[in-house]
Amino acid sequence: MKRVRPARVILSIVGIVVALVWFFPVYWMLNSSFLSNVVLTSSTPTFFPLGGNFDNFATVFQGGTFLPALGMSVVIALVVVAVCLLFAFLAAVAISRFRFRGRTSFVLTILFVQMLPAEGLFIAQYKLMSSVNLLNTVLGISILYIAAVVPFTIWMLRGFVAGIPADLEEAAMVDGLSRTQAFLRITFPLLAPGLVASGVYAFLQSWNEFTVALVVLQDQSSETLPLWLRGFIQASASKAIDWGQVMAASTLVAIPVIIFFLLVQGRMTSGLVGGAVKG
Amino acid sequence: MKRKIAVATAVALASALVLAGCSTGGSTGGSTGASTDGKGKTITLWLVGSDTPDKLRSYLISEFHKETKGTLKIEQQDWSDIVTKLTTTLPDKNNTPDVTEMGNTQSPTFTNVGAFLDISDMYSELGGSKLLQSFVDAGKVNGKNYTLPYYFGSRYVFYRKDVWAKAGITSVPTTLDEFNKDVATIAAANPDKISNFSGLYLGGQDWRDGISWIFANGGNIASEKNGKWTATLDDPKTMVGLKQLQAIYQNASKAPNDAKDSNQYIYVNDDDAIPGATASDPSTPVSLSAATIMAPGWAHWSIGTKGTGADGKVTRTWDDNIFGVFPLPGNDGKPAPVFAGGSNIGISAKSKNPGLAKTLLKIIFSKTYQTMLGQNGLGPANSDDTSSLGTDEFATALIQSAENSKLTPAAPGWASVEASNVLEEFFSKIGTSTDLAALAKEYDAKITPMLNSK
Amino acid sequence: MTAATTRLTVPRRRRRSFAPYALLIPSVVVMVLAMGYPLVWQLITSLQQFGLAQQFGQPAPFVGLDNYIRLATDPYLWTVVGRSLLFCFVTAAVTMLIGTLLALLMRAVPAAVRIILQITLLLAWAMPVVAAMTVWTWLFDWRRGVVNWLLTAMGLPFQQHNWLQNPLSFFAVASIIVIWMSVPFVAFSIFAGLTQVPEDVLEAAEMDGATASQRFWRITVPIIRPVISIVLLLQVIWDLRVFTQIKLLQDSGSIASETNLLGTYIYQLGAGSSDFGTASAVSIFVLILTIALSGFYIRSMLKEDAA
Repeated sequence: MKRVRPARVILSIVGIVVALVWFFPVYWMLNSSFLSNVVLTSSTPTFFPLGGNFDNFATVFQGGTFLPALGMSVVIALVVVAVCLLFAFLAAVAISRFRFRGRTSFVLTILFVQMLPAEGLFIAQYKLMSSVNLLNTVLGISILYIAAVVPFTIWMLRGFVAGIPADLEEAAMVDGLSRTQAFLRITFPLLAPGLVASGVYAFLQSWNEFTVALVVLQDQSSETLPLWLRGFIQASASKAIDWGQVMAASTLVAIPVIIFFLLVQGRMTSGLVGGAVKG
Repeated sequence: MKRKIAVATAVALASALVLAGCSTGGSTGGSTGASTDGKGKTITLWLVGSDTPDKLRSYLISEFHKETKGTLKIEQQDWSDIVTKLTTTLPDKNNTPDVTEMGNTQSPTFTNVGAFLDISDMYSELGGSKLLQSFVDAGKVNGKNYTLPYYFGSRYVFYRKDVWAKAGITSVPTTLDEFNKDVATIAAANPDKISNFSGLYLGGQDWRDGISWIFANGGNIASEKNGKWTATLDDPKTMVGLKQLQAIYQNASKAPNDAKDSNQYIYVNDDDAIPGATASDPSTPVSLSAATIMAPGWAHWSIGTKGTGADGKVTRTWDDNIFGVFPLPGNDGKPAPVFAGGSNIGISAKSKNPGLAKTLLKIIFSKTYQTMLGQNGLGPANSDDTSSLGTDEFATALIQSAENSKLTPAAPGWASVEASNVLEEFFSKIGTSTDLAALAKEYDAKITPMLNSK
Repeated sequence: MTAATTRLTVPRRRRRSFAPYALLIPSVVVMVLAMGYPLVWQLITSLQQFGLAQQFGQPAPFVGLDNYIRLATDPYLWTVVGRSLLFCFVTAAVTMLIGTLLALLMRAVPAAVRIILQITLLLAWAMPVVAAMTVWTWLFDWRRGVVNWLLTAMGLPFQQHNWLQNPLSFFAVASIIVIWMSVPFVAFSIFAGLTQVPEDVLEAAEMDGATASQRFWRITVPIIRPVISIVLLLQVIWDLRVFTQIKLLQDSGSIASETNLLGTYIYQLGAGSSDFGTASAVSIFVLILTIALSGFYIRSMLKEDAA
């Protein structure tokens, strides 16, 4: 039933242009990862990786430190996303569907907690983890990340829950469903896009986080990808930075996130809403 | 009954004494307390950056095992994070490295707060007065040694022989005044007519190189009297150096005033020359933008004619016809004092294995290891072994320029000064200042309070 | 349909509902455990003279509000605050504008174009900050940067132009980078919110003669208002505290003291000078500042809840 309207064509073109502009720095990273340092440090930029090769990637892999760091990052990210979404979902339901004493204080607290600048906290976080012997562990750093991401996630989800009128649930209950069933069948699917957005955010936060990881994951054997990437970028006293390798390393760090998103992006655009209202 | 108690007490006392004796550090080791009882134990050494080559690391690991039957674990840290890591980990006895490297300018800050073990008793055994004294001072508090030099680097001048010759200067300057004049002449002559060509490329915020002019005229950034540090930027001798710097910024260097001490070597390389471009066409970027630079010694690996190696990687081949080096000359016949690069090394005060850590230090300061450092281009701490650096022009320049080298003031608050970038800021303003004396006083007032620990 | 959540007024039975508390326990526990101690530590430290010596065992003298008073009378702090606020508002505003437009765009284009747009935005979002900063500083490099090269090729006098030297152009570059990094999140969140807006209602309104603008402001916005408010608030909070991008740009050039924002200033005091007492005081100060800034939002949210 969709006619091809000229407006849509124009908008599509705009969309493509925007996508290209936004993609350019990423493209530059990919482009550079296939080129050698020689070419990259000349004053004329090379726009297409003609004659490029996978050498940089090979060198990065040969170092042997990428896969352990990758493993560490993946495990931490999955733990953080799963736990954070669960906790935040429960809390969001609590504050938006119930009225209880302390609700306002809780809401204000989680809002304020996010406003504290993190740059000055590393000493306290180190002491905390050290005192419970959780340095260099997945559990230790996951707890710190979850605590950092949960407040925001609760906020996000609260906004989504708030946008879903309670009438929908009440209508379902009139039809004979219990409150829980109504919630799971009607409201929950509508939350899916919100869960996906929050999930991607939580994933990225823990994937790219650096400062806390630097302090809490001290051993090289327990480093995450950002720490690992930093090792590449540090120019030491006896060799200059190899930009091609740095870009290849960065590309490797970015890929898993893309995969994660592609897996979940369907939920973001599902047309479940239509079904709920019509029914 | 009493006898039983007496015996019990005696046994208890005796065991207590024996146990106390045991806990002070293991079996042999002579008077310095270095222990060789390492069976089943592991100690950790932190090295910063990749300066120490793998060959040397393997040597340390195998030698340590040979001597103590224990294991040495080496962890590499990054220069940009080492202060943070040391701040959080050194006070933590469960996670502190036993031995750690640190920058020579970072040593005073940490030694002054008691982060390191007192190793004065090992001082003469490890080399005593043969060790680079300015570095030893950076690790000394109240006459006691806490950290000692690990290796030194230095800075010297790299120049384009061809450009100098074209500008009419065929011999290397032998005094600082001559050097200052030469680079100004070359900038004015600009024989290849390159736009924004510098006789000497000196970044506006590059105080680590610029400080040489202050040192060379007898001045300093700060001095200590009766335990209190004061900034001495407006000291008459420092002012002479500042005036020379101003002349260089105005006449010889076209570097931006926010350029820092990094990658200077790219400016003396040709690598971006576009074939066919005429020298007089200013719109075609040519990489060569300076006739001279001043840089740490290891920069020579990145200077030369560009080529491609068998594996497709860039290679730089030093060409003695095009490039040359010399230590920055002073006005007194000796090389100008330059800012010494390099690291110190020390044992954490909270280490659980001080005895084994001391053994590691003995290995590091052994003639074998010191020679290995030199052979790999790292200036050994023990002056007896500097000959291991070799005799090529780079080693000669390194040794000569390091002879007179100086460190930044060993003030407890020096880390604050560096972190706040106040020196970078000061230097960036020298070129355009109309009243150097006032500028110097202004920054003295900013720096002095930072120098003394709270 | 209103955006305000109608409270479930189903009469409560006898049980003084324990359910909400139970739902909150996991979040509260993890936050208290992991943020409680650091927060309290920071509060206490801000009232002490705490430097490197204290970290290594020296007792920390209690100085009461001294650190705060010193800060309040330090003109440099206020300069940094002013800069941070300006940077924050400009960047957040532009980010929200572009983000919302892109979200609407994603709804209006065919699926293929939408996926392309979403993937590129995601790639931009997923790119590690360190890598992104490396590319951006490279793009703007005064000698080898693509931006200068392109501008020169277009005939403009940008040969070897140093973007970071001048604080104003430094912040323009920083703003562009932060906007580039933040828009994807805004676009995705608002897009997710837009999926909650029922298509048929919009179509019905269109057939009734409502213009696009009317449909947007009267139907869409009220539904997604909670999402917009949160995202806007978060942008303000995050842009006020921006750290990594500024720090990495400063490492490439510029006079640090002229380009410090609150994040790098705290870092410089803490990790740089080891002056943890002052760093903590500045952190608490930023916290209070942020709370003040978000006052409007908090009040409207509390009012809405009371309804």
